[in-house]
Amino acid sequence: MSRDPVRAARRRRITSAALLALGLLLAGVSLSVGAAGAGPRAAIDSVAFHLGFADNPPASDGVIWGIRMPRTLLAALIGSCLAIAGVTLQGLYRNPLADPHLLAIGPGAAIGAALGSLGAGTRGAIAGGAACGVLVALLSRRVARRQSADPGRLVLVGVALGAVLTAWAGFIVTGSDRTRVPPMEFWLLGGLGSATWTAVQALFVIGGAATLLVWGWARSLDLLALGEGEARHLGVDVDLVGAVLSIAVGVMTGAAVGAGGVIGFVGVLVPTAVRPLVGAKHRPLLLSSALAGAALLIGADTAARTVLVPIEIPVGLITTAIGGVVFLWLLGRIRSMAWS
Amino acid sequence: MEITATGVSVRVDRATLVSDVDCSVQPGEVLAIVGPNGAGKSTLLSVLAGDRRPDAGDVQYGADDVRGLSLADLALRRAMLSQDLPARIPFTVGELVELGRHPHRSDPLRSSELDQRIVAEAIAAVELDGWEQRIVATLSGGERLRAHLARVLAQQTPVVLLDEPTSALDIAHQEHVLSLCESLAASGRAVAVVLHDLNAAARYADRIVVMSNGSVSADGTPSDVLTEELLSEVYRQPITVTQHPHRDCPLVLVVDR
Repeated sequence: MSRDPVRAARRRRITSAALLALGLLLAGVSLSVGAAGAGPRAAIDSVAFHLGFADNPPASDGVIWGIRMPRTLLAALIGSCLAIAGVTLQGLYRNPLADPHLLAIGPGAAIGAALGSLGAGTRGAIAGGAACGVLVALLSRRVARRQSADPGRLVLVGVALGAVLTAWAGFIVTGSDRTRVPPMEFWLLGGLGSATWTAVQALFVIGGAATLLVWGWARSLDLLALGEGEARHLGVDVDLVGAVLSIAVGVMTGAAVGAGGVIGFVGVLVPTAVRPLVGAKHRPLLLSSALAGAALLIGADTAARTVLVPIEIPVGLITTAIGGVVFLWLLGRIRSMAWS
Repeated sequence: MEITATGVSVRVDRATLVSDVDCSVQPGEVLAIVGPNGAGKSTLLSVLAGDRRPDAGDVQYGADDVRGLSLADLALRRAMLSQDLPARIPFTVGELVELGRHPHRSDPLRSSELDQRIVAEAIAAVELDGWEQRIVATLSGGERLRAHLARVLAQQTPVVLLDEPTSALDIAHQEHVLSLCESLAASGRAVAVVLHDLNAAARYADRIVVMSNGSVSADGTPSDVLTEELLSEVYRQPITVTQHPHRDCPLVLVVDR
């Protein structure tokens, strides 16, 4: 990034604006394509009607406003939640490899989400996911503090723990009524095919609250980059910050898993891509990562449901195909110091 | 602000790291804490900093017991430079030093003109001006240490604690950092520095505490403390002390066994 403060600030603004524009563009595409055939014209008419600019809805309003719109918004919210969770974990553990799913928070949340959807459908899945997400996030914080010296080892432990938790989610899913719990594929690779307005509202409220918490403590994340000892010397209550932010990460990751399953590598891919553009300070990084995460997942989901029509690809295949490569690249680079 | 440790002991499992130590740092003085490896120097410094709660004894900042001070209060009273600083800091030098202003900031979003001026002065004081936009992770060990030192200076606290600040520095920068300590003391701060280099302590410290096996073996002015008998015993190495030919202080020399 440009290191001159004035130019850096301008670059941050341009990056945010460009990512927002990209997200809106992809959302437009997402609303305009699909198996039902309603195109851009119908999408514009439908949005105009619901925003009060037109008197009559288009014939395909049910498809666009009832199916594609919640799906697009849910993709945006999940993408933002996972990207923000990634930024937060990376700051908390001073580890650019940290990712909510690689640290087992997503797989753990899947257990709660599966149980929750058995009990109370979509809302239950989101609430159960958030609850289990918090438990695993606090557990992974304990592990991370012991493994902090070696960034790779933390992820290794996380992946192994995640595999165990995924297996437990699998026992629950395969032993449950298929009509009430999404299939195993959903918990491994995610999917937005059953997106509803209920899910959008629930994730907006829960994810939004957790995001505000992270936003408010962003300065502490900056200070934690100096190491826990030096952060404490500057007045940061490291234990409190760690607990609060772990809970926030658990909530937003778990709720996202309840709404869309385990969609891999978004949390590591997005901040890695955004950091060189906006720098490492957490406020601008969080903002741009949230926008980029939303755009990424809208784009990935649109591709997932249009590339092989009528077959729908699990969205996690696409994010993992891209994010996994970025992760491998990062793994090779990590020894050579800088994050950006 | 005076900082006083009284009867401080620190135990970890069965090992006693620091045993019944009295130590104080007065405003306007540089105190050097010296001693062999494992003597308890860094442990004592972390007790003074309020990082570590001693198993016995108290630490007072002025009239206040350190246990009664919040982390935010402490951050306004003392700045501390640790020994092991993470190498992989993704911020620019300017951003790093600006973090030193954190305890003083009422608005966490933006820094005031005063903050910016103090940051610029701190960077100039460690001779890193012109380097504000460099990413800290790309600096050499010595440059990185000076950037952290600038962060400590920007904290503008009455007490400054430095744990081996010169170990990664070349001779010229060692002298520079130590004279910086001297001028901090001259401006009324209480400065405590853990040092390995006895000659640096001899030249720059107003007072030296020699530690050995967790206890204070001597506490006094350089010429009082740096004696052949004491140093040879504490370091288990024959040492001779003479007068520095060009400086008004003792010169410590190692001799063959």
